[in-house]
Formats: sequence, structure tokens, C-alpha cells
Amino acid sequence: MDISMFSIILFFISFFGVLFSNNIIKTIISVLIMQTATVLFWLTLNVTGTTPEAPIIYDPALLDDIQIIADPVPQSATITAIIIGFAVSAIVITMFNSMCRQYGTADWETMERLATGGVD
Amino acid sequence: MTYPILILALVCAVIIIAEHRVYRMIIYFGIFSLIVSVGYLLLGAPDVAMAEAVTSAFSTIFFIVCVERYYNSERNTESVNKKTKWFGWAISLLLTAAGFVVYLLFIPQAEPAEFLKDLYLTRFMTDVGGENSITAIYLAYRVYDTLFEALILVISVVAVVHLSYFVGSTPDKGRRSEIERSGMTAFTMRLICPVIFIFAIYLIANGHISAGGGFQGGLAVATFFICRYLIHGIYDLPVKVIVRLEEVIFIAIVAVAIFVVVLGISAYIPDSILPVYRVIYLIMMNILIGLKVACGFFVLFYRFITIERR
Repeated sequence: MDISMFSIILFFISFFGVLFSNNIIKTIISVLIMQTATVLFWLTLNVTGTTPEAPIIYDPALLDDIQIIADPVPQSATITAIIIGFAVSAIVITMFNSMCRQYGTADWETMERLATGGVD
Repeated sequence: MTYPILILALVCAVIIIAEHRVYRMIIYFGIFSLIVSVGYLLLGAPDVAMAEAVTSAFSTIFFIVCVERYYNSERNTESVNKKTKWFGWAISLLLTAAGFVVYLLFIPQAEPAEFLKDLYLTRFMTDVGGENSITAIYLAYRVYDTLFEALILVISVVAVVHLSYFVGSTPDKGRRSEIERSGMTAFTMRLICPVIFIFAIYLIANGHISAGGGFQGGLAVATFFICRYLIHGIYDLPVKVIVRLEEVIFIAIVAVAIFVVVLGISAYIPDSILPVYRVIYLIMMNILIGLKVACGFFVLFYRFITIERR
């Protein structure tokens, strides 16, 4: 099995979680797992073998066999992606917190019913 | 070794989706992130593994702080373990299966491009300097990404401060949570604190020659300050000053990046001092980014603690 298939399966597991969950916290966690799956997909995209070397070239002789070194481009992109994902999740948790204080529930349907004034 | 770790991560994700008790879900999410970061390490990405491990620790804390309040308000009103109707299951499964089939059928399985990898790996030591190609890429080749990432972190800190605004922003000094009253925890944190700080300085200062860098070191600095907070419990920190400091550091990052990378100053530097100049640039950018990330994360943590306390 191709190693990037793991990230696809992980993505669809979390997709199922987003569709299926009726709890807001579970939805947030599912979206975070989806982000992790995306990062994993980037890191497994250009991999030969299962354990490549880290792209830290302390000896120029390592560059003779460039195939066993991991691709540094997705890695540097995903570091920023992880930090941004955390920042976004902090905003989402804060929004959930203020909504939870106002309506006193973490259930999607109950919160929708309360927010629309009992009209379904 | 990579395959069992990734299979374990899949199993952990399934457990999270199937779990309906919120506290357990959050702890499983922390375990999941730990497993995935080990997977990143095995896939040859130590920098990404470090960032993932530390941010997952932070998000676990945030979720627990958030959920504590949710449980307090929800415990008496409704049951948490609400059953989903069968057609909810069926529709979700059907849509997921449909998406997977669409992926298998329509995504072209092309060979990934090796061009940028070869170019960066063979040239970064003469172009940028240092030994860590990831630092070289995000500080020189793709510095715009880093600038916008720093901007988004600033925006998120401002948004969190704005969304969690309330009158009288310092909570009661007398109220301390369970973990802060525990003497064992305080003693352990006193022991760990200096180690974390030395490790953070090591990560920032050695970011250009080994795994680590500004982001990971900044997260470790924020962890150090959070440990100090949990030991001493200082409640009247000047949050506005820290937010303003973060913005000033962001402007400094943009100024240094424009001055060095965009204007191409290194073309006018004589060859004899060029390596020193490059190392100074890398270390300075790592220090600035580390300070900025530390300020941002500490403000986020502080706001969350004050949310919990009010």
C-alpha cells in the first residue's frame, strides 16, 4: 500500500466525524484531525522507502544519494501550516466558549433551536 | 516502523470519532497527536514533529479549560450521551464512502516533482548558509510564507483577545484550580522549568544547524512562562503590553526580511564576511520569530485561563 494512503484514510475518517457528530467539540476535534491528515499527506507525498533521512545536511557527502533524503519543501510549508492551524483552532475554541456561555449547550441542534428562538 | 505507527494513529482517530465522553475524547486527541508526531519523526521531519507535539499539548490544555466550563453549565440541563438516529449514521457513511470513491477514481496519480527538492538541497548551503535546509527555505527562499504566517498569528491573538473581552479583566486572586494547589505539580514544574528554558534557547540558537528553529523554540519559551505561571500564579500581567510587544516584533521581522531578502543586500557584502553575515541573519530571524511566537502563545494561554476563572 502506498504510504500516502494512510493520510487519505485519516482524512475520510475525520470527514465522517464532521458529518456524524452532533457535539460541537467533537466537530472541532474532527476538523483538527483533518488538518493533521493534510499535513501527513504533504509529508508522505515525495517519499521513497518508509524511513527517509531528515533534510539536515551536516556533511555534503550526504547529497550524493539525494533519494533517501526527505523533501524539505513540504516540511517548511507544513510547519507554518501547523502554527496557523493552532491559531485558528484557538479562535474557534474562544468562539465556542462565548456561544456556550450564552446558550449553555454544546449540541448543534439544541443550540440552533435556542438561537432561532424555538422555531425549527 | 513507520507503518505500525501510522496504523496506530488511524486506530486512535477511529476511537476519537466513536467516543462520546468529551474529556476522554480530548485526552485521546492528545495521544493521537503524540503518535502522529512520532510518525512525522520517522518520516524524516523532526522540525514538523516538534511543532506538532508542542501545539498539540497547547490545544489539549485549551480544550480542557474550555470543556470544564461547558460541563459546569451543561451537567444539569441535558444528557451528553445523546444517541444519533440511524439515518444520521447511514447518510454520513454514504457520503464518506462516496468521497473516498471520488478520490480513488478522479485524482490523477502523477509522479511528484523533484525539481524544487534537488534545487534547494544542492544550493541552500551556498545561497543561504546553515545546515538545516528547512530553516533556509522558510527564512530565505519562501520568506513571504513566514511573514504571512506571522501576520495570521498576530490576527488570531487580537481576535482571541477581542472575543474574550470582558469588564474587569483580572479574576479573583483567591481562586486557584486543582492543579495549581497541588504541591507535587509545583515541585515538578520547579525542577523542569530551567531545563525547558535552556532547551528553548538551544532550539532557537541552533535552529540553522540542527532540528528546531524559531517556531519550536518560541513554543518552548511559552511553555516555560506557562510553567512559571502555574508555579507562582501571577494574575496581573500586562496583557496589552505583551500584545503590543508582539506587534512591534512582527514589524521588526517584516523590516529585516524586506531589508535582507527582498532588497538583496547580500550581493553588496564582501565575500570575506559573507558567511558570518548569513549566520547572523538566520540567528536574528530565529530569535525574532521565537519571541513573537512566545508572546502570542502566552497571550492566548493567559486569555484562556482568565476565561476559565470568571
